[in-house]
This record gives sequence, structure tokens and C-alpha cells, in this order.
Amino acid sequence: MSGLPSRPLQWRPLAPFLLATGAALSLVAVITRNPTPLFLALPLLLAPVAAGIVGPRRSPPVRIDLAIEGAAADVQVRGAVVPEPGLDARDLVVELERPASLVGESVPRFDYSSSQIRFRANWTAPEPTITEIPVPEVLWRDPMGIVEREAISSTSPVVVSRYPPELLRIGAVRLERTTPLPGETRSRRVGESGEFHGIRPARPEDPPRQINWRATARTGRPLANEYDLDKTGDLLILLDARPTPLGPALDERLFSVARAAAVGLSDSFLRVKSRVGVGVFGEFLDVVPLSTGRTQRIRIETALKQAHLSPVSAPAERCAVSARRHFPPGLTTVVFSSLSDDSSEDLSPYLRRRGFPAVVLSPSPLPLIAAASRLTGEDEELARRIARLVRRDRIARAWQEAPTIDWDDFWSLGKFVEFVRRPRIRRA
Amino acid sequence: MSGVSVRIRSIRPVSLALLLVSATYLGLLSGFPDGYGPVLAAAAVIFATGLRVGTRRKVAVYAPVPVLAALAVEVVPAPVGLGTELVAGLAGLAFLLWLADDPSRPVGGSLRSLPTVGVPALAVGIAWSSTLFLPAGAVPLGVAGALLALTLAVVALLVASPTMFDREEA
Repeated sequence: MSGLPSRPLQWRPLAPFLLATGAALSLVAVITRNPTPLFLALPLLLAPVAAGIVGPRRSPPVRIDLAIEGAAADVQVRGAVVPEPGLDARDLVVELERPASLVGESVPRFDYSSSQIRFRANWTAPEPTITEIPVPEVLWRDPMGIVEREAISSTSPVVVSRYPPELLRIGAVRLERTTPLPGETRSRRVGESGEFHGIRPARPEDPPRQINWRATARTGRPLANEYDLDKTGDLLILLDARPTPLGPALDERLFSVARAAAVGLSDSFLRVKSRVGVGVFGEFLDVVPLSTGRTQRIRIETALKQAHLSPVSAPAERCAVSARRHFPPGLTTVVFSSLSDDSSEDLSPYLRRRGFPAVVLSPSPLPLIAAASRLTGEDEELARRIARLVRRDRIARAWQEAPTIDWDDFWSLGKFVEFVRRPRIRRA
Repeated sequence: MSGVSVRIRSIRPVSLALLLVSATYLGLLSGFPDGYGPVLAAAAVIFATGLRVGTRRKVAVYAPVPVLAALAVEVVPAPVGLGTELVAGLAGLAFLLWLADDPSRPVGGSLRSLPTVGVPALAVGIAWSSTLFLPAGAVPLGVAGALLALTLAVVALLVASPTMFDREEA
């Protein structure tokens, strides 16, 4: 941490106030030839200087531990700020910013001691989200609040992914293979079945049949077998990031929901050693090529975290052509699209023509529109029915080209999981 | 426990009492018209404390203003005298300790601020003892004026460039 640049001392608004009052009192003392105001002025003039001298002379290094707990909509942020020895933690001020996609208490709860500050914040994700919890800003501030200096730490932000829990189980689905014969291509990962790969120290979760008892007896410590896994299949996740007539605010929320679900989907399939690729189609197609493993998970998470809506729309054919250039045909493709206008419906036919069997998962804008509606009573009910009819018509038209799932309860993907688990319906 | 009682419990009594006593006594000595000095001082301190423990943090940052205004109003008409000067200095120091006991920050602020408050306390002590022991006259007044001007210049210089407080690592 010593390599990080030191931040300068900052005067807080109280400092000029004290100095100005002290200077004014000194002037009055000279004009009236009365030393009494000078005695009041002295502490006011010297306190800012003393605070600067007594405090740390460079940015104090601090260690920030940040952890995310909770499940589904519940996001609990726990952390601790530990300054270097010699600095009282009670002189530190911690400011934790709540990301815009989360709701809840704006000020975390702090627990101070002389050696560390513990903090906790309970937030809620109203919709599935992937967002970054920034590192708390830590300032050293003198007890009087006259001067402050930013502390330095090397902690990185933490990413929160919240998506429907059904996605955790979806990885068990057998995907369409894009390799000639199953088992021909070995996964980069190792696991519990397949060709023998090697021996490693046993872990508590290893089943008894995976323990290599002979090797364990020879070495006197528990050892387990490891096997090369066969690749199970490939998956392409495609997000439609083009603008729609719904407007930027609604588009952004729907896109945020789609990004979170895409992270969940890729996580689940990567866990079972499948290869997963991601494409985000705005004006052009940005891709994360097919791969597997933990690095691919980080790659996808980073790409989706940074993905944003395109201000310009582009023809759907461009997406299909680009996809064909980056991915082999025959990939099981999950398309996230709100299907809010005619152009977004074009995506799956073009993909199908280029050889990608697509399933469309469409986050519905209706719950978001209903929540923001100003209508009441019968008007509201009528508007809701009309919107539902329009939506149903769009889904029906989309079904003609590809299986389409209307996703209106953002915390549940039961319908989607059920669909991809039934191969008969999929083939139909 | 209700929010109001939590906020009332966050008041630190020692520094508040020091400020209240010194400001009220300064008001008594100041010769403020009709004897309203102590009332003004006490009202300002209580009002400022109320602002600090109030619910709105944006308002709380202005709490030092009424206290400092009351002290300034009292100290200007105060007569020349060793006792008055000492009380004025002590009121200034008590004000700094009261500042350090911010209810929105961890307890013990006044204790942790003692090294900082020690510097102005030393200056007040030297100034008061010099008025006690040095003879009055034009030369000491000139020396004091020059020292004051020098102090103001140094303070202005430091305020203009806070990086002067920085220290590079060895």
C-alpha cells in the first residue's frame, strides 16, 4: 500500500470560518486597543494549524474488508476498516455509497472501536441485478472536524449478482453438442468422472468412491482421484441492447434484469464445464468467445457488468452475420430481448437462418410500466388489459420463429427452466 | 429506544458544561447591556446543542455559528482585565472541546482532541502570563502586534497550501 499516492490535506468549511472569526476578533482588538478579543481569537486562529500538524502527515493506509451476504433480493454488505497501528480508528470517517440499482437504508450502521470500524448495510435488489459495490471512501478527520485527509487502500470493488434461484439448477440441462462426438473433446476442467487425470489431496466434500485408498495408505494422508471431464455442450447467450420505444429508463431496467439473468445462466452452465459464449448486440455485436472455466466466468461477468444500451439501433441481420463469424452454428442460443417493437422480433429468425437454434427469454416491461402508472381504478385496469393483449400478441408472433418465454415475474424463471429441461417440447 | 432519546443521550455533558460555564461567565464579565450577557450565552449554547442533536445533518453543521457569534458579541465590549482575558481564552478552548464532542461521531472526541487543543491552550497560557508579568508600554505592544501579524501571515500561508503539512516517507 506504500506505493499508492498520498492524498493532500483538505480544509473543511469549519477551518475558514474559525480563521475568519479569529482574524476579525484580532482586528477589533487592535482597533479598540482591548486585548480581550485577542484571547478568544488565539484558539480560533491556532486550532486549524494545530489540527494539521497533529494529524497524520501523509495519507493513512487502511485495510478494508468488504463482503456480500444474503440471497435473492437480499443484499447484506458487511465490512471492516482497519487502520495501521498508531492511528485511532475513531478518527476515521467511512462513507459507503449505495448503488442506484439497490434500495434500502442510505446510511450503514457503524460499530467503532479504537482499532477498527465495522459496518453493515442491508439493501434490497428490487429486480435481478449485477452491480458493483464501490470500495467505501475512508477519510481521516480530526475530532473537531477542521481538516481531513483521504486514506488509501488497495481494496477492489465487489460485484453483486442477484438472479432468480432457478438458474442455479439449470446447468443440469443437456445442451446441444457442437463437437462431432461426445467425449472426443476434453474439458479444461477436472472433476469426478471421465478419464483418469491424476491424484490430489482429498477434500472433505469428496465422496468415498473418489478417494484413492491405496495411495492414501501409502502416503498416510487422504488422497483422491481426479478425472478429465468430457465437455457437455455449448451455450451462446445473446443480449439485445438496442433502444426500444419504451424509452431509455425502462430499457435500462429491462437490460439490467437481462444482464443479471445472463450472469446466472452462464454461471450455472460453466459450473458443469460447458462452454459458454456471450454476445451483446447494440449497434454492433460485442462478444466473449466460447470457453469454459473460472476465467471465462470472470470474463463474462466483466463484459456483462460493462455492457450498456446502445443509443443507436442496428438491423438484426448484422447480429446474425457477426454471430456466425464468432461462433460455430448449432449452438444452443438464449436470446434476451424485451420484444417491445417489431425490430426486436427480427432477431431470432435471422439467427435461426444462420444456424443458431434460439430460445427467446423476454423480460416483460409490463410490471415496470404498471408500477410507474399514474392511472387509478377502472382506467388502470383497462390500460393493463390492453397492454397484456398487445404483449400476448407479440409473444405469439415471436413463437412462430422461436420458442419464446414471457418473463414477467423477475424473481422466478421456473417457466424457462421447465421449458429447457423438456427435450420433447424443445424439439417440437 | 426512540430516536429522540438516542440523540439526547449522544450529548457529551463535560464539554457542554465547560462551554456553558465559560461562555456564561464571560457574558457576566462582559458588561453586556442590561445584564443579558449570560442569558445570550446560555441561549446560544443550548440552541447550538439542539441543532447538533437534531435530525437534520445539513443543519447540524451550522451549530458552531450561534456559539461563536455569542462569544464574539460578548468579548468585544468586555472591559480590560486579567480575569476577563483568561475567561475569554478559556471560552475559546472550551468551544474547541465542544466542537470535538460531535454527537454524530464516536465518543471520546474531546479526549482525542487534547493534543490539538493543547497548542492553542499553550498560546493562551503564554499570552495571559505575559500580560500578567510584562510591564505595559508602547514597546511590548509593538512586539505583540508584530508577533500577531507574523502569526496571521503564517496561518494564511499554511491555509493557502495545505500540502505544507505533508511529509514524504523516508
